[in-house]
Amino acid sequence: MSLLAVDGLRADVNGKPILKNLSLRVEAGEIHAIMGPNGSGKSTLANVLAGRPGYEVTAGQVSFNDADLVGMAPEARAQAGLFLAFQYPVEIPGVSNMEFLKAAWDSHLAAQGAQPESAVGFMKRARTLAASLGLNPEFLKRGVNEGFSGGEKKRNEILQLLLLEPKLAVLDETDSGLDIDALQTVAAGVNRFRSADNGVLLITHYQRLLNHIVPDQVHVLSEGRIVASGDRHLAEKLEAEGYAWLSE
Amino acid sequence: MAVGVEALQDLEAPPWLDAEGFRRCRQALDGKLARETWKYSPLPKVANALIRADAHRQPPAVALPPEAALHRLDESDAPPLEIDLNRYPLAGIAAARAGAGWLIDVKRTPSHPLRIPAPAPGAVAAPLLVRVAPGCRVELEQEALPRNDGSPMPQPKRGGVAAMPSPAGLRAQVLVLSLAADSEAHWAAAQFTPDVEEWSLLQAHLQRNAALTLNQQCAVGGFLRQDVNVVLGGQGARLASVGAALVRDGGRLDQQLVVEHASRGTVSRIKQHNLAAGRSRCTFNGRIHIHVGAAGADADLSNRNLALDPSAEVNTKPELEIYNDDVRCAHGATVGQLDAEALFYLLSRGLETWQAQRLLSLGFLRDGLAGPFAEPAAEAFAAHFASA
Ligand SMILES: Nc1ncnc2c1ncn2[C@@H]1O[C@H](COP(=O)(O)OP(=O)(O)OP(=O)(O)O)[C@@H](O)[C@H]1O
Ligand SMILES: [Mg+2]
Repeated sequence: MSLLAVDGLRADVNGKPILKNLSLRVEAGEIHAIMGPNGSGKSTLANVLAGRPGYEVTAGQVSFNDADLVGMAPEARAQAGLFLAFQYPVEIPGVSNMEFLKAAWDSHLAAQGAQPESAVGFMKRARTLAASLGLNPEFLKRGVNEGFSGGEKKRNEILQLLLLEPKLAVLDETDSGLDIDALQTVAAGVNRFRSADNGVLLITHYQRLLNHIVPDQVHVLSEGRIVASGDRHLAEKLEAEGYAWLSE
Repeated sequence: MAVGVEALQDLEAPPWLDAEGFRRCRQALDGKLARETWKYSPLPKVANALIRADAHRQPPAVALPPEAALHRLDESDAPPLEIDLNRYPLAGIAAARAGAGWLIDVKRTPSHPLRIPAPAPGAVAAPLLVRVAPGCRVELEQEALPRNDGSPMPQPKRGGVAAMPSPAGLRAQVLVLSLAADSEAHWAAAQFTPDVEEWSLLQAHLQRNAALTLNQQCAVGGFLRQDVNVVLGGQGARLASVGAALVRDGGRLDQQLVVEHASRGTVSRIKQHNLAAGRSRCTFNGRIHIHVGAAGADADLSNRNLALDPSAEVNTKPELEIYNDDVRCAHGATVGQLDAEALFYLLSRGLETWQAQRLLSLGFLRDGLAGPFAEPAAEAFAAHFASA
C-alpha cells in the first residue's frame, strides 16, 4: 500500500481543466520533488490533494493511506495526516498564532480520540520548535501570519508541519523567497520531519533546495501531466538546461 | 412623523438654550436630517421614550481625583454646550428632561481614569461636559462587562428581533468632551449588558494639537443607538477610534459617526469591526466632513462588517464631504461573510468547520479591540461564541 497513490487524475479549477491524466506514487519514507514551469499545475495538484473548494476532480483516483481522498472534507484529510504548506500562507488578524496552533493540534487529538494536551505543555513545545526555526516566541503571540515577512510565513508553515506531525507533507514552494540562512533552516526542519513512516511532496523551482533535502525522485509537471521522472540528477539537468528539451 | 408633540410642549427649554433654540430643536425632530440619520432606527419611539424616562438630575457618581472638580453647568464659567441640535435634537430633549447638566473640570492630569457610570435603565441622565485644560491628559471609562466567571454571556430576555426600544427600558446619556490645546482624552466604553436599550451622544471638540482616542466595544442584544460627533477644530487635532461590536440575535445597533475636519493638518483614523449574528440589524454610518479651511487634512475610515447569518441585516454608508483639494481621505466600507481563504487555511489544519468559523468570527471582532477593555471584551466575545 502506497502512502499516496494518484492514478489518472484529471481536475478542473473553476471549470477549466488543469490536471490532465496525472499519476504519481509516494511510499512511506520517500521524498518526491515536483518541478515544472509556471502555470503547469503544481499548486493545483497540491490544492486538489488538500481539498480546496473550487478544485474539482473529474476523473481518476487519489488514495491516501488506502483511504479515498476524493470527496473527503479538507479537515478530515488534515486529521487523517495530510498537510499542505501553502505557497501563500493566509493572514488572520485577531487570531493568535498560538491559539491557532493549539486548536489545530487539539482537533488532531480529538480526531484520534485522544485527550487534549495541556496548554502549558503544548505552548512549551511550540516555543521550543519556533526557536529551532529561528522564529522569536513573539511570533506565537501575533495574529496568524499577520505582518510576517515572506520568509517568516514559510518558517511558520514548517513550524505547523513539525507540530502536527502529519503522514504526508505537501510543501508548495516553501523555499521561494527565502534567504540563504532561512533556506537552510527550513531544509533542516523538513529533514527533521522526514522519517521512515512519512512522506514529502516537495514542489520547487530550484535545484538548490534539493542540495539540502535530497529527494528520492524528481518529477516534471507540464501542462497538467508528469512528463519526466528521474532521480536528483534530473533536477540538475533542468537547472542547467531548462524545460525546453522536454517538449522536443 | 408622529413624535409625541403634546408631551414635548410640556417641556421647558434647557437653561443653555433659549426658547427659540428649543423650538428649532423640536422642529428638527421632524426635519430632513433627522429622517436621513434615523433611517434605520425609530426616532419617534426613542424621543417618546426620552420624554417619559426617569429624569436623572443628580450629579454623576464619579469618584473625582483632586485634579478634577465637579460643577453645575449653569453655575460654571463654561460656555453653552456646543451641540448641533438640528442634527441631534434628542440632546435638547434630554437636557430639557434632566437639567442643564454637569461639568467635570480637569485642570491637571489625574493619576487615575475617571469612571463615568452609565445611566440606569429607563433613565435619562443630565448632559455631562468634561473639560480638559491645556496640556492635560485624561482617561474616561464606562464599563458594563459580564462578570468574568467563565459562564456564557446571558441570552437577551426578549425573543425575536428587538423591533424598537421598549418605552420603559431606554436609557440616555449625552457626554460632551472639550479638549483644550495640546490636551489628550481617552474614552473607553464596554457595553455588554445583554438587553440594553440606549441612546447616547458623544460630542467632542478638539482645539490645537489635542488628541482624542475612542475605544468602544459592545455586544448588543437589545437596542443601541450611538451618535458620535467629533469636531477637529484646532490645527493638528487628532482622532483615533477603534471599535468592535457584536450584534446578537434579536439585537439592533445603529452607529452614526460624524467627524469634522475643521482646521489645517487635522487627522482622523477610524476602524470599526461589526459582526451581525442571527436575525439582527447592524448599521454604521461614517461621515467625514472636511471643511474649507482644513488644508492638509488626513482622514482614514474603515468599517468592516460580517453578516454571519443570511437574515442579518447590515447597513453601512460611507459619506464624504470634502471642500478642500489638499487632503488625503480614505474611506472603506465592506460587508461580507467569513473569508474563504482563511476558512480553508484553518480547515486544512484540521479544525472542524464550526471551530474555524468561530475562531474567524472572534478574530474579526478582536481585530477591532483596543484600549483598557480590550482583554475583558475579547473574553466576553469568546464567551458568546462558546455558548452560541
Ligand atoms: N482559480 C483559478 N481560476 C482559473 N484558473 C486558475 C485558477 N487557479 C489556477 N488556475 C490556472 O491553473 C493553471 C495552473 O496553475 P497552478 O497555480 O497550479 O500553477 P503552478 O504550476 O503552481 O505555477 P507556479 O509555478 O507559478 O506556482 C494556471 O494556468 C492558472 O492560471
Ligand atoms: Mg504554484
